This record gives sequence, structure tokens and C-alpha cells, in this order.
Amino acid sequence: MSSIQIKNLTKQFKVLNRHEGLKGSIQDLFSRDYKTVTAVDNISMTVEQGEIVGYLGPNGAGKSTTIKMMTGVLEPTSGEIIVGDVVPYRNRTKLAQEIGVVFGQRSQLWWALPLIESFRILKDIYRISDENYNAMMDFYRTQVDIEPLLHKPVRQMSLGQRTLSDILAAFLHDPKIVFLDEPTIGLDVSMKAKIRTLIHALNQEKNTTVILTTHDMGDVDALCRRIVIIDKGKMLYDNDIAHLKGFFGSYRTLKVRMDGDLQAHAEEIRKEVDFSVSADEEWISILVDEEKEKVLDVLGRLQHTHNIRDMQLEEISTEEIIKKIYEEGVE
Amino acid sequence: MNLKKYLTLTRAGIIESLQFRLSAFIMVIGNMLYLIVVYFLWKAIYASVGNEPINGMSFYDTLIYLVLATALSGFMEMYTVWEMGRNIQSGKIVLDLLRPMEYRKYLFWSYSGSFVTQFFFTFLPTFIVVAVLTHGAIPLGINLLYFVISVVMAVSINYSIDFIVGTICIYTESIWGINIMKQVVVMLLSGATVPLAFFPETLRKVVSCLPFQSIYNAPLTLLLNGDPDPAYVLQTLGIQLLWVVVMLLAGKLFWRVSLRRITVNGG
Repeated sequence: MSSIQIKNLTKQFKVLNRHEGLKGSIQDLFSRDYKTVTAVDNISMTVEQGEIVGYLGPNGAGKSTTIKMMTGVLEPTSGEIIVGDVVPYRNRTKLAQEIGVVFGQRSQLWWALPLIESFRILKDIYRISDENYNAMMDFYRTQVDIEPLLHKPVRQMSLGQRTLSDILAAFLHDPKIVFLDEPTIGLDVSMKAKIRTLIHALNQEKNTTVILTTHDMGDVDALCRRIVIIDKGKMLYDNDIAHLKGFFGSYRTLKVRMDGDLQAHAEEIRKEVDFSVSADEEWISILVDEEKEKVLDVLGRLQHTHNIRDMQLEEISTEEIIKKIYEEGVE
Repeated sequence: MNLKKYLTLTRAGIIESLQFRLSAFIMVIGNMLYLIVVYFLWKAIYASVGNEPINGMSFYDTLIYLVLATALSGFMEMYTVWEMGRNIQSGKIVLDLLRPMEYRKYLFWSYSGSFVTQFFFTFLPTFIVVAVLTHGAIPLGINLLYFVISVVMAVSINYSIDFIVGTICIYTESIWGINIMKQVVVMLLSGATVPLAFFPETLRKVVSCLPFQSIYNAPLTLLLNGDPDPAYVLQTLGIQLLWVVVMLLAGKLFWRVSLRRITVNGG
């Protein structure tokens, strides 16, 4: 059974054309000058029950807007959307019983109360039976060290503890689908790993569909078999991650720092190597295809011609993947 | 209706508000200061007319009325508008919208805990102090029952008005000015700052056609009248019931229409 079906989904917002400065702000008070912004543009996808789908894109790509439409908070401008077996924006309250959400930057927990109180409230408002509630809590105990958290007021928690608690709260009523919107944002490496393990375990145990938006390729690597990439509201990619890795796996980003005008250096390097080179205020980035030439060889060559002060090696980022998809396409 | 899922929110609200003891104590002190101002203001007003009753209300009648109105307003103020404004501005509303109950109900029950704490911390003490100090100027009879029924309806009307004003924030993205205006209008036209008996005849007629007087004037007149005429009681409660229904439907409709254009800020 497919748990989410989206067909030609589009969302447009009407935004006032703002003018700058005091004079502009006063003009805006009486302005009727609206422009239409398309946040999500003709997206289609089907998600099966139990899948973990990585939903990627740069900031402002339309990820959160899509999630808000899937949860029924926003009404689509056009297109069809079915989640569970209902149309979300017409049955938001009913759907709420079937889904869980975590927004990495805000908490659904009761700020002033100990975590256990939040769980008790959720138990009542989602009408979870004692039996299911206890079973879920027992399962949580096998996964994370929850006892020290239970009696701590949420406002005293660290960001990592709070995110962990929020994820536990979202799964508490055994929802069919859970939306995780940047759950690992701002967390350190060990907490990220903990949260990934937890999400994986919950998905395995309950066969919960998980829609995960993130900037962190590490999240995607650890959890998702399938990824969907959108940019500027348009769908760029929807396939399994292995396929994308086959395409991009051999790329690394070599970043070097030098004295002097980086743009000029970048220009010179561009002549010396075969790869895409870009420069910002601090770093010159070279996207190296290791099938053509090893990163260390590139670095070795550059060392002869330039005075390199510092270097970094990075896995390819979502932004770079998107750039490559635009430049070359995938399939 | 499954009451448990609502009452659990009331319970959480009580626990939450008890966490902030200091704020509760300061509020009591603030109320005292306000009442002292009211006392001297009206004393001066009555002194200027030679301590004669004005429009059938003596100095003590007016004072009892205003003291109880203040206690009642402390009880009924749920800060709904602030809360909605803040949630809409910050985008936190998305989480509240995803609770498995209507937002209007969720918000009401989330803040209903303050009714319980405010009742015990503000209204009841004030009521007892006034009853003792005035040696039975507050009649204790069937009027108490009418009062309770009337207050329940007043709470509902007050909440509906707050909810409608809060909904405006979806359009304006800012609530401060609108809420200040709402507070002034409600406090004045409901008879919470000046008893309606002091209003000029024309204004009183206008006010009697508005929902606001059902919030403070109705319950307080029912409370302070020990021997009420059944027709008057029925009429007052009937008008209140009408406003409960009208404002409830208006709030629901306005919210439903407005929600379609919500954009949800941030992330």
C-alpha cells in the first residue's frame, strides 16, 4: 500500500513587492503590487509504506512547503495529494492522528514541564491505550537511555536531548508516517549518530514511513535508500541513492587557501586542471573527479605552482550535487 | 465528546502556571494597586456630587461592582490573542495545527488551566474579602447559581472575541496594536472599567446591542441583585446564549476562511 501519493503538486504564494527605505515602506502600506512566487512547482511522487525517503534541496527549495502540504497545514494551489487515505488539507485533524512531525528548530513538547508530563498529555490527546503506551515506552528504553530525560523539564534540556525527546514524542502514538524536518540541525557528531540509529530502529520496528528533509548528506547515507532532490520548487531527481552515488561517488571537493587574490588564483588553476573551480572569500574549491585524476596528484601539482597555506578535503555536498545535475544531468 | 483529551490540557496548564509562582504573586500585587487607584478615583467622583447615589448606584455599590469586575477580568484574561499572534509570527502554529483536535479547542483547553488557578488565586480571595468587608452587600442565594451560569457563557463569548481578533494576525502578521484596541473596547463597552449605569442613555442603548456587555455587565448584575425578577434573569441569560452561539459560529467561519491563506513563517 502506498502511503503518500502526490501528482502535479504546485503551491504559489502571493507576496507583496516590498520597497526599500522609509519612503518605500510607507508606499508599501498602500501598495497592491503583488507578485506570485512558486514555492513548489509540479511535483509528483509516490512513497510506499515503510520507506525512508530523503528529501533534499538547498535552503528555500520548497522542502518545508511540500511537507506542510503533506501534513495538511497548507492547501495546494493545484495538483492532487493523498496521505494515508485522505486529502490532507480537508482532513487535517483526522490525519493528525496518523502522522507524527518533528521540526528540528521548534519543539512540540511542553516547555515548562518534565518530559514524562508531555508524554502523558500526548497519550491522552492521541488517545493511546495504556497497553500501547507501555509497549512503546518499553521499546524506547531498549533504544535510548531515556530515564534521565523523563524527569527533566524540556527547557533545561540541551538541543540534542530535546531533539531526541521530540522524535520519541512524534513516534509515541505509533503513526503511519513521520515527517522529520532537519532533525539533526545544529547537533554534534555523536548526537547525530544516536538520532540516526533511533530513527532507523523505529522505522524497522514499526514499519513507519519516514520523510526526512536534511542538508546533511550523512543523514541520507545512514538512513535513506531513496532520495528526492528539489531545487527552486522543481523536482531534479527521484531515484535510489546508489544510483546517485555511482554517478557522484568518485567526486571529492578539494579546498585550498592561499595568500593574495583568490579569484586571480582560481583563474590560473582553472587553466591548469580539468575540473570546475570556484572561489569565495576564504577558499578555492576544486571539484575533482577521482576517476580522471587523484586528489593527491592534483594537490601535488598545485603545490609546485602555488603557495598553499591550508587545505581541506570534503565529500560532495547537496549543493554541489544539484549544481552537477544542472550542468550534466543524471540518468 | 471525549473529555479526557481536553482535561489533560487543563491539568498541564495548571501545573505550568504553578511553575511560575513569582509571576502569580506579582499579578496579585498589581491587581491590588489597580484597586487602590479605583477606590480613590471613585471616592473623588462621589465626593464631587455630595456622596449622593448616581443612577441608582451608591459609592459602595460601584466599588463592589468594580472590584469584582477586576477579579473577573483577571480570571477571564487568557492572553489568547498574544499567544496566537506569537505563534503565527514565529511559525510555531504549524505544530498546534497538527494536533489531533481543532485549533480553536486546542488553544482554549491549553489555557483553561489558568481559569482554575486564577479562580483560586484571584477571584475567590477577592470575593471573600469583599463579602466580609461589606457585611453581606453581596447577596448569597439563588443569584450565585445565575452568576455561575452567566460566567460560563461570558468566558465563551470572551474567548470567541479573542479568537476572532487573534485570527486577524494571519492577515496582519502583527498583533500588538490590534490587541490593545480590543482590550480597550472590550473593557469599556463591557462595563468592566465603568459600570454601564454611568453611560449616557444613547450609548447604553448601543452597548446593549453588542456582545461585550454579556461578558462583565451581565454576570455582575446577576450576582449583585439578591432578589432578581425571573423575567430579567431569563432575558439576560437568553441574550448571553444568543451571543455565545453567534460569536462561536463567527469565530469558526472566520478561522476557516483565514486558514486557507496562512503561509506559516520560517523553515
